[in-house]
Amino acid sequence: MTGKRAILVTGVNALWGSRVAAQLAARADLHVIGLADTPPEEMIEGLDFIQADVRNPLIVKLLEAERVDTVCHVTFVETARSSESAFDLNVMGTMKLLGACAEAGVRKVVLKSSTMVYGANPGNSAFLPENHPLQASRSYEYTRDLVEIEAFCNGFRGQAPGVLLTLLRFAHIVGPKADTPLTRFLREEQAPSLLGFDPMMQVIHEDDVVRALLHAVLNDVPGVFNVAAEGVMPLWKVMGLAGKLPIPFLHPLAYLGVSLLGPAFAPIALDYLRYPCVGDLGKMRSELGFVPQYTAEEALREFAAQQRLRKYLPESVARAYDEERLHDTIERRRRARTLDSEPAAPRSRGRASGKRAPAARSRTQRRAKPPTGAIGGKR
Amino acid sequence: MAEQKSKKKRARRKPTRARAEPAAETALAIPEPEVEYTRPEAEPEDETFEISLRQQLIRELDELARRLRAITPGYSAAPASAGRVIDVIEESADKIAPGFARGLRDTVSRFINEDLLDVDTWKGMWTVLNQAVQYQTDMFRRRLTGEYETDEWGLDREFMEAVRPFFEFMYKKYWRVQMSGVENIPAEGRALLVVNHSGQLPWDGAMLGTGVMLEHPNQRLVRNLYATWFPTLPFFSDILVKMGQVMATEDNGIRLLEQDELAAVFPEGYKGVGKLFKERYRLARFGRGGFVKMALKTRAPMIPVAIVGAEETYISLAKSNVMAKITGFPYFPISVTWPWLGPIGFIPFPTKWTIDVGEPIPMDHYGRDADQSLVLVSQLTDQVRNIVQDMIYARLAKRRSVLFG
Repeated sequence: MTGKRAILVTGVNALWGSRVAAQLAARADLHVIGLADTPPEEMIEGLDFIQADVRNPLIVKLLEAERVDTVCHVTFVETARSSESAFDLNVMGTMKLLGACAEAGVRKVVLKSSTMVYGANPGNSAFLPENHPLQASRSYEYTRDLVEIEAFCNGFRGQAPGVLLTLLRFAHIVGPKADTPLTRFLREEQAPSLLGFDPMMQVIHEDDVVRALLHAVLNDVPGVFNVAAEGVMPLWKVMGLAGKLPIPFLHPLAYLGVSLLGPAFAPIALDYLRYPCVGDLGKMRSELGFVPQYTAEEALREFAAQQRLRKYLPESVARAYDEERLHDTIERRRRARTLDSEPAAPRSRGRASGKRAPAARSRTQRRAKPPTGAIGGKR
Repeated sequence: MAEQKSKKKRARRKPTRARAEPAAETALAIPEPEVEYTRPEAEPEDETFEISLRQQLIRELDELARRLRAITPGYSAAPASAGRVIDVIEESADKIAPGFARGLRDTVSRFINEDLLDVDTWKGMWTVLNQAVQYQTDMFRRRLTGEYETDEWGLDREFMEAVRPFFEFMYKKYWRVQMSGVENIPAEGRALLVVNHSGQLPWDGAMLGTGVMLEHPNQRLVRNLYATWFPTLPFFSDILVKMGQVMATEDNGIRLLEQDELAAVFPEGYKGVGKLFKERYRLARFGRGGFVKMALKTRAPMIPVAIVGAEETYISLAKSNVMAKITGFPYFPISVTWPWLGPIGFIPFPTKWTIDVGEPIPMDHYGRDADQSLVLVSQLTDQVRNIVQDMIYARLAKRRSVLFG
């Protein structure tokens, strides 16, 4: 246990946490602890799962006991209507977790944010640098929570200069499984667009989001970075590539519709369909050193292809055809077996053959270590 | 006579029906090759023979037509066709001098008969038409499925080509723009045009762009930096971006110049474009000198440009602050036609325009941090402003008429 770098990933029951944790857990030199308030839906091989909420005050003890080196915080709950509980989890949860990290002496924290925090304003430059003021509308709770988190992070940098803080601001995420304002807009056939407005847009594929988070966890690159795929394109081109039929509304009518019907009318804040909100990628290329695999066009074509497939296949069948996932599973199992066969390998895992395996393993490990109080599996 | 001809026509055009009659079949079978005007070798050789044969044929056909009409009541011949036109022309040609008539008939039959009745003509026309329709539908499909290219600023060449004729019309025919000093714009590399703003709507920027595109040997694209208000208007924002124009921020300007583009600024801003008619050609304050900082930082030469004629396109008599507040416009002009006549108020006055491009002011001899020096920035701002103002006065002194220059 000692030689390995301990990494704590939050929200492993959701898309980003589970994918990042799975990728990290596949590496032999890392000890990956997954944190979530419910167990992940799918087994993640090699993940040390702990069932707890990020707001739990004893997290600091967990961080100290496990000598966590890096925290990758990707929990973010999004609700259609502004909700106090979501705000509490998103903003208060991040604040409490960051506070615990500072106290427990965590070396590095990686956070996921969005370029939407800049806000879509008519006076925006075509490419917004990272130091551009965060002017996102506070009436749109998705960006409100993110802006709150970012404002706290700004202060946190001064309070805890010892913690390396990497904040990745992703452009609109698209992908077969991603659920973001833009994907909801592109998936919903009746979602309105605005007549006579065609702002430039940036997107990133969900696989590249995971890769960027991994990149930030594995390399020390403190700072704030815009992360997006190569290629900026107008919204109507995005809609065309993603296979969404534009339903243009006169903008006063569309705004009226939103004020009357709320998010049921438009799944994305209309300002983002009206004004540009595009991040400058210079810092991503030079300082972060991350290169997305998908270009914007490829990401959208891929999204459209998955979208078309989704129409024909029921959910269960669509999963059965997911070759990549099975390939990953086979690879993971093969690696696990080779590790098992090496006696020197410090981390021997049981022959996991069922869904219970990771939980069982984490329980045994828990016992072997000093008690961590209320934290730990409920079983 | 015309009726006869039409009957003949009908008979000729309905061979299947004619074949029902055994007599008709024999009548048609022998003389028809002779009637074919498309054979040039048969025609000039034996004209008299051909004519007598034709009369014979017509008689037979008349008889045939009479019988045909009896069989098919209610059918009438097509009102006009290529063959009938030739017949009519030939008949009237009989009344004119024979030499002229013959020449006329030859010409007409060459044009109509040989070309229009030739299958290849129609094949060619069909191909061209088909190609055009296919191109249009293909373009429509590509626009709908996102298969088109824009640059990182949103410039859409296809869109530009589509709207270019309109701007060229405004440039060449409507305002008859006369451009001088276009050779002062470098063939390539960065430069910043500093232009006076006028005329309520940004036509001046559009004409400057069109002018440089048309008159400059390298057909350079001018990237106008436009004001914050325009992107809030539907279609305006869309069209400006697709035409390669860029929102006026310092970041954008510096990025453009670093990409060695040709940018244009209108430092007067709203104060300039919303000028009253009585204040025409008096330059407003040149902003806070952001454009000078852009030029100093990127060491791009500044090129003063004076546009004369745009001030009189709309005659703004007063500005309404109340209407500006209600509509959210930065200024609300009241002119003779606007807002009284609604959209008619948008039609600009066809004045004569001149665009004078001045000598470049080089920026490369200033130091690295010159853009931080407030004194230098304000000095250069005033210097450029004076140059543009002098260029305007020089042009106004030469101008005899607002309409004809």
